[in-house]
Amino acid sequence: MKRIKWLAALATVGMFVAACGGSSSGTSSSTANTGKVGGKLVIDNVSGSTWTCQFNPFNSAVLGPGITFAPVYEPLEFVNILQSGNPPVPMLATSSAWSNGFKTLTFTIRNGVTWTDGKPFSAADVAYTFNAMKSDKVIDLNALWSADGGPLTSVAVKGTNQVVFTFKAPSQPIFYFVADQTPIVPQHIWSALNQSKLHSYPDSQPVGTGPFMVSSCSPQNIKYTRNPHYWQSKAGHPVPMIKEVDYPAFLSNTPGNLFLAQGQAQWGGQYIPNVQSFYVGKDPAHRHIWFPPVLNVALVPNLSNPLLGKLPVRQAIAYALDKATISRLGEGGEQQPANQNGVVTPTFQSWVDSALTQPAYSPAKAQQLLKSAGFTKGSDGIYKDASGNRLAFTIKTISGYSDWDASLQVITQQLKAVGIAVTVQDENSTPYTSDIQGGHFQLAYAGSGGPAASPGPGPYYELRGWLFSGNIGSTNYSRFKSAQADALFNQYAGASQPQQVQIMHQVQKMMVDEIPFIPTTEGVDWYQYDTTNIGGWPTQSDPYAQPSPYSFPDNGQVLAHLYPSS
Amino acid sequence: MRYLTRRIGLFLVTLWAALTVNFIIPRVMPGNEAQAVLGTFRNINPAALHALQIQFGVNAHQSVLSSYFEYLGNCLTGQFGVTAQGVPVMSEIGSKLPWTLGLVGVTTVIAFLIGTLAGVASAWYRGGRLDAILPPALFIVSTIPVFFVGLLLIYVFAVKLNWLPLGGNYSVGATPSFSASFIWDVLKHALLPALSLVIVTSGLWVYSMRNNMITTIAEDYVKTGRAKGLPTRRVMFGYAGRNAILPNLTGFAMQLGYVLGGAIVIEYLFSYPGLGYLFYTATTDHDLPLMQGLFLFYTLAVLVCVLIADLLTAVLDPRTREA
Repeated sequence: MKRIKWLAALATVGMFVAACGGSSSGTSSSTANTGKVGGKLVIDNVSGSTWTCQFNPFNSAVLGPGITFAPVYEPLEFVNILQSGNPPVPMLATSSAWSNGFKTLTFTIRNGVTWTDGKPFSAADVAYTFNAMKSDKVIDLNALWSADGGPLTSVAVKGTNQVVFTFKAPSQPIFYFVADQTPIVPQHIWSALNQSKLHSYPDSQPVGTGPFMVSSCSPQNIKYTRNPHYWQSKAGHPVPMIKEVDYPAFLSNTPGNLFLAQGQAQWGGQYIPNVQSFYVGKDPAHRHIWFPPVLNVALVPNLSNPLLGKLPVRQAIAYALDKATISRLGEGGEQQPANQNGVVTPTFQSWVDSALTQPAYSPAKAQQLLKSAGFTKGSDGIYKDASGNRLAFTIKTISGYSDWDASLQVITQQLKAVGIAVTVQDENSTPYTSDIQGGHFQLAYAGSGGPAASPGPGPYYELRGWLFSGNIGSTNYSRFKSAQADALFNQYAGASQPQQVQIMHQVQKMMVDEIPFIPTTEGVDWYQYDTTNIGGWPTQSDPYAQPSPYSFPDNGQVLAHLYPSS
Repeated sequence: MRYLTRRIGLFLVTLWAALTVNFIIPRVMPGNEAQAVLGTFRNINPAALHALQIQFGVNAHQSVLSSYFEYLGNCLTGQFGVTAQGVPVMSEIGSKLPWTLGLVGVTTVIAFLIGTLAGVASAWYRGGRLDAILPPALFIVSTIPVFFVGLLLIYVFAVKLNWLPLGGNYSVGATPSFSASFIWDVLKHALLPALSLVIVTSGLWVYSMRNNMITTIAEDYVKTGRAKGLPTRRVMFGYAGRNAILPNLTGFAMQLGYVLGGAIVIEYLFSYPGLGYLFYTATTDHDLPLMQGLFLFYTLAVLVCVLIADLLTAVLDPRTREA
């Protein structure tokens, strides 16, 4: 989904002056699965531009709205971020195993799967897909073969139905990117293309293994029909059970939200202000929302700034912020307050070090920290250091993110109350991304919804994005450099599960002790669903996949679970 | 003939200057395409930055001069490359052009006709009640920003009364065809954006037309026409109107640039998938090839219209041909 933009926001404000409602979790549908095929599902997720009718799953612009991966192309195994303790769900691979100290990964490939053009799928397709990323670096979106010869060193077919991945060093976390985040494409079609220009292949008639096929496409709408030969189908239990899917293109949030509110779409991935009254309230028996948190939104200090580089200043900021108020006023209660230990809860609760004390909201403590660090309050109420440098900063944010702007208004007031002056500076997303990656800022508001480290099964993935020194220039926005942190992240790749939890406890301690950045709210998967005609939705009690239509390859799981209920 | 060659020569020089400006402007914008792609979509591994940089040639160093000449050559041969999403620029522009042409082209002509006719009528009956109300009313309305008029119309007709759709070019899920119901659907969607543009642009023509008309009416040949006993309408349009419209005609061509600019705001407001919206997304996505293609298209459109207006002036006014 695209964030609300100012003109649309203006129209929205005029239209829906309604009472503010909090979020609630949906109850699972009471309708039964009859085992019949039929019905039509309409997806409502604002993509911001009309469809190009290209389905190349390695084109990042195509990948974003989830139109091709995983309705059409599928992963080897499905890893559910919301149930990071569970084993992966076998998809095109029936099983996988690490050996050689997490340096060799072997997948056993499923038999009896066919591409939608009738050709059989095999281990050769899998090996081809990964080796294609070596010949065209542009499609290596997860940097599996980076320039310095790793982490992958070879991918080869072994025997008839196995594929062996060899890594340079222990690479346990890369499993997620190999198994879950890479779409498998047919060798018999892709190998005929120019191998160094695979990224520019339009793929307007995609041939995949997934539950759906593209039946027609116009700039305004993509139509899918069910794949009648889908490998999950069994006699008496057809998969998928939904016959048709429409995915219309919406240019902005207002028409997209209205379309959902009118009941014309059943599956939404929209940020809707006052969602209770605007959407759920119009048919509370059938309309539900559920916003599982996956990624932090944070106030990020630039550690190379001489004042923000001082720990007491960052600690003062952490104590000055009342995250519950930021969540309530800034996000309308639709995103929960975040934890300074960096772990998104309840999603990753099992990783939390409960013995660790986190800074709790205390303006008095914040000012005391500043005073004992030698800062004195000036006549304007703002603290300054011995040489007269005031604690006055700018916060860069993305223009048009109305919820972030609202959160920052709250933050500005809370920081002013402890003698730190901040001014919010809105930037377009491109210069914003350029500035925060390049370190051209003092404070920045960043994370979920903006350019951020993608989440994974466990807090490791997000926190490594924020804190690993190798990510300075991409997602380590605060430019945090710590040999200890780097060592911990490197150890994690070869550690056992209990050791990994211990390592993450140490990272959490570092987050609390050194305050490299200050998580404020927990960014969520936006998700609305309508049970009038369709059942089988992911819910809080049955979180079998991330529920947004734009979450891939989770959307493939949802599409295979849904069934017509009327 | 000399008039013609001078006009065409001027056209070529202006075109070159415009092409050069088109080359420079997108390059001084902050950021690059790779960052734009990362900034627009979520759930993409930051490691993708490296892949995107290779794709868009961000760190591939090429001298400005050599890329400038490459760009000029591509413009001459009509090669505009592919957009950041991998679609040929020309087909992207081609698919959006009919919608903008249909919306903005028709409304501009309607606004021009309304404005000009109102100008002619109020000059003819100058001092009357019509003259006292119509031109000032149209002119005042034309000073309201177009997005405000659009928002007002959306609020009243789409939200409060729910008579017309909020935006888009046709209903979601409708299949394009030449059936009456589909054409009606398209017209319903175009009505509010078209109305906003007509309301705001009609007034621009009224005063210049009225003032030209008043000067022309005082001319001897108009008096002669009247004295001959010709019908009022014939004198009004054939004698006075034909001469008074000349400055407006050039103005009409110049106006096209303003109209295309206004279309960006209106298409954005109404989520109308035309060139204006495309231009907006190209800019926010930092899509260099698409931006250059669109800039060039806009420049050419305005320049060609000015040229046509010059040629038309030559047809309508024999004096310019000898100058």
